[in-house]
Amino acid sequence: MKSINRKIIRGILFLSYIIIISFVTYGLSALFGYLNTGADRSTMLHTEIKKVEQFLPKILWNANENEGRPMDEQTLSSIENDYLDAWYVKHCAYQTNTTTGIEDYYTKNARKNLYNIINKNIETGTTIRSTTLQHHPKLEFFSEDGHMVVITDKDVMEYKRVYKDKTLLLETKDLSTYKIIMLLEDGFWRIRHIVKTSNHDFKPNYKFISKEHIDIKGINYYPQASPWEVFGKKFDIDTITKDFKLIKETGLSSIRIFVPYESFGKANVDKDKLNKLTQVMDAAEAENLKVVLTLFDFYGDYSILNWTLNQRHAETIVSKLKDHNALLAWDIKNEPNLDFESRGKDLVLAWLRNTIDLVKSIDPTHPVTIGWSDIESAPLLKDKVDIITFHYYEDLNNLEKKYLDLKQDIPNKPIAITEFGVSSYKGLWNPFGKTEQDQADYYKQAQDIFSKNNMHYMSWTLYDFTEIPNEVTGMLPWRKTPQKYYGFINAQGVKKEAFRYIYNP
Amino acid sequence: MRKTTYLLVIAFMFSSSILLIGQSSDEEIAIKLLTTKTQFEAGLGINLQFSTSNNSQPILYCSNSYGTILIEPSIENKTLNYKIPENIANRSGLINWKLLANDNTLSGKFYINPKQVANTMETYIGPPSIEAGGLDYTMLVVIPTDIYGNALKDSTEVEVKHQFLSSEYRNMVRMHNLIAYKNLYSETKTGRMLVSSETLGKNSKEFVIDVQPAIPTNFNISFKQNHNYADGNQITTLLSSIIRDKNGNIVSDGTLVDFFITNRDKNILRTSAPTINGIAMAKTVHPDYEDIWKIKAYIEGMAESDIITINFRQIIKGYDVVFSNNNRTITVGPLQSFMDQMIPDGLQIKLHIYKDDTKIDMILKESFEGFTTFKLNPNEIPSDSYNMMIEVAKIEKTFKHVKL
Repeated sequence: MKSINRKIIRGILFLSYIIIISFVTYGLSALFGYLNTGADRSTMLHTEIKKVEQFLPKILWNANENEGRPMDEQTLSSIENDYLDAWYVKHCAYQTNTTTGIEDYYTKNARKNLYNIINKNIETGTTIRSTTLQHHPKLEFFSEDGHMVVITDKDVMEYKRVYKDKTLLLETKDLSTYKIIMLLEDGFWRIRHIVKTSNHDFKPNYKFISKEHIDIKGINYYPQASPWEVFGKKFDIDTITKDFKLIKETGLSSIRIFVPYESFGKANVDKDKLNKLTQVMDAAEAENLKVVLTLFDFYGDYSILNWTLNQRHAETIVSKLKDHNALLAWDIKNEPNLDFESRGKDLVLAWLRNTIDLVKSIDPTHPVTIGWSDIESAPLLKDKVDIITFHYYEDLNNLEKKYLDLKQDIPNKPIAITEFGVSSYKGLWNPFGKTEQDQADYYKQAQDIFSKNNMHYMSWTLYDFTEIPNEVTGMLPWRKTPQKYYGFINAQGVKKEAFRYIYNP
Repeated sequence: MRKTTYLLVIAFMFSSSILLIGQSSDEEIAIKLLTTKTQFEAGLGINLQFSTSNNSQPILYCSNSYGTILIEPSIENKTLNYKIPENIANRSGLINWKLLANDNTLSGKFYINPKQVANTMETYIGPPSIEAGGLDYTMLVVIPTDIYGNALKDSTEVEVKHQFLSSEYRNMVRMHNLIAYKNLYSETKTGRMLVSSETLGKNSKEFVIDVQPAIPTNFNISFKQNHNYADGNQITTLLSSIIRDKNGNIVSDGTLVDFFITNRDKNILRTSAPTINGIAMAKTVHPDYEDIWKIKAYIEGMAESDIITINFRQIIKGYDVVFSNNNRTITVGPLQSFMDQMIPDGLQIKLHIYKDDTKIDMILKESFEGFTTFKLNPNEIPSDSYNMMIEVAKIEKTFKHVKL
């Protein structure tokens, strides 16, 4: 008995010895491993590529031959890179009045000019937020030894906001022509001379689209299974086609869909998603439905240095779909007035104006609009858009008067309500909410107002949803839950009472 | 009466307020540009003047080639003065301005021309060495700049001067797109080209361009040797003729010439040498047996030589082999050369050992003072009967059934 106890004690001692030793070994090896970490040797030469696209103005090279040595594509692309970077660091420098990056893209002599201006601006409390949206460079000359180029950059479209002591003094958008000499110095193409040779204010010239073509009786559409994420993994063109058939059968003639900015790949639009969008448009065309395409969904950063990225995004989508038969109008942004408080009203409006200019320059034939979140915001930028659109979730009894007032205010442009509706949720999170019957009454009343005043409308929305992404209403359940019950068809696929009033011939 | 007085007072107040309103809006428009000049010269200072009828002092927005600044005015006798700061006024190019008055209507632009006096000649020249023959060229790019670093006006004349051997040249070019440039072609001769330029009396410093020979043309080769015996010891020198380019210029020193030697067994040996004064001189050691070498030289990818042949005579006519110490010590020699002198040390001697036609060992030794001794270790080669073969300068001697 005694010997067994001894054996047990011995065993325990033995095991604990092994455990302690293994802990010590582990500790030492972890320490050794830690000391051996640090910079990877391969990073010593800084050969890794860390390219983040942050500045992508539209750049169109004039293809004419240059004087001197013939240019090759690779050199031209490295010149273009460094040239645009030079503009980018300049915009950054004047925005913050710091000199970061200037050294890399301007030669010693050229830098002084920038530093002088920065010092002057620090002195007077001036900051300049600017970006260049378009460049039209022409290579004039390339030296035989490959170390110097002369470029004429024609009609550089520059947008500027000039602040003094943080107060906006001036907003300009102009076209300037520059002659530029760049030198190849230790691997960088640096600007040696810039001479501005011409300048005039930019005046967009495009025609407004006449109102006869526009007839909007429609609905906002998301598939039931994937609201706000139509083009993701759950994308199912068969479901969408079926839904479009259903919408068509009700008598409605148009739909409004959304293109999310980030998940579409920002500046580099995801080809796969763009194809899915085209499929949706094709499906709408097959059912003879017209589509209001809302761009920049879930985009909220309007900062000027981001504009070139936004414009590449819009450019890709608009160019791809501008000739599509199903296209009715471009809705530039959904409810941008909700960002006025956080981003500044005038910045958001400037962004909208510039984005409209861009969309119009690519697609002059389709109307543009902005889906304001309330009727009070609807007159904003009325001179820039072709259709005035707003969303109406307030008391229907006031709608008619407000609408007529607005119509009187803007008599020459069509006005459409692109979102309206009511949630049929009455429950724990909203005990005083509306029932499905209340919802039906609401739509009946709305349709009466619409037919009486011959109004354009798009309702929110076809389906009740089971999942709402947090980005839409936030995480709070008393906000999120009602959002699930705006549909004409409930989560089980049964048509609610309101469905009878989805359309009124 | 009272009523009419009230009415009059009210009417007066009303009309005067209308007048006031009219006046104030008139005042805003009343700012007028006085400066009529739209072309200025860098460095002379610029003062933009406006007449004003009130005391408001609007800020001037001003944007040049490099950036944008805001300028506060000074007011004097109802004249607004905007002094453009030096670092803007000294910089050539277009300046556009806007007066940030409430109505925001006044805007304009003016041009600052460079001061047409050359202060520095920013010169870029390249490539620094070119090929003779009149096809290759170097390019001189000049940016004459004024004292403020502005490139001078387009169409300013620049004289490009260069000297080569006994000739001097002067060419006039005009500035275009901020630069003036000229291609300078080589001539048939090699040498150094001196280049400089001049604008408005200002001369650049001197730049030197090397005119290098063009690629070599085909050449001849020859050889030099002390004797033609295959003693494995003497050295033969292979020489090229003076290698020249197509214009007769001697090729650059250091042009590598490869000599390829093909022997009677079609093996290829190779030796190489760079040229000095156009001649490449490579060396190679004689073979140690009779042989015929065919030699051709190449400058890779550019030129080649004719083929020459060298014959090497056999020196060893025969030799003795003595077995001793139970046949375990084998002495080869004396090995004698062409005048019966002992051959120089280092001749290779091979001993092949066979057991029933199977090679079991090969021992290689070099001669020393005309002899070589092989000592066969009993631990490596046990006692038995072997066939042995000795090979010296391709002369073989076979001994059958040697008992160890």
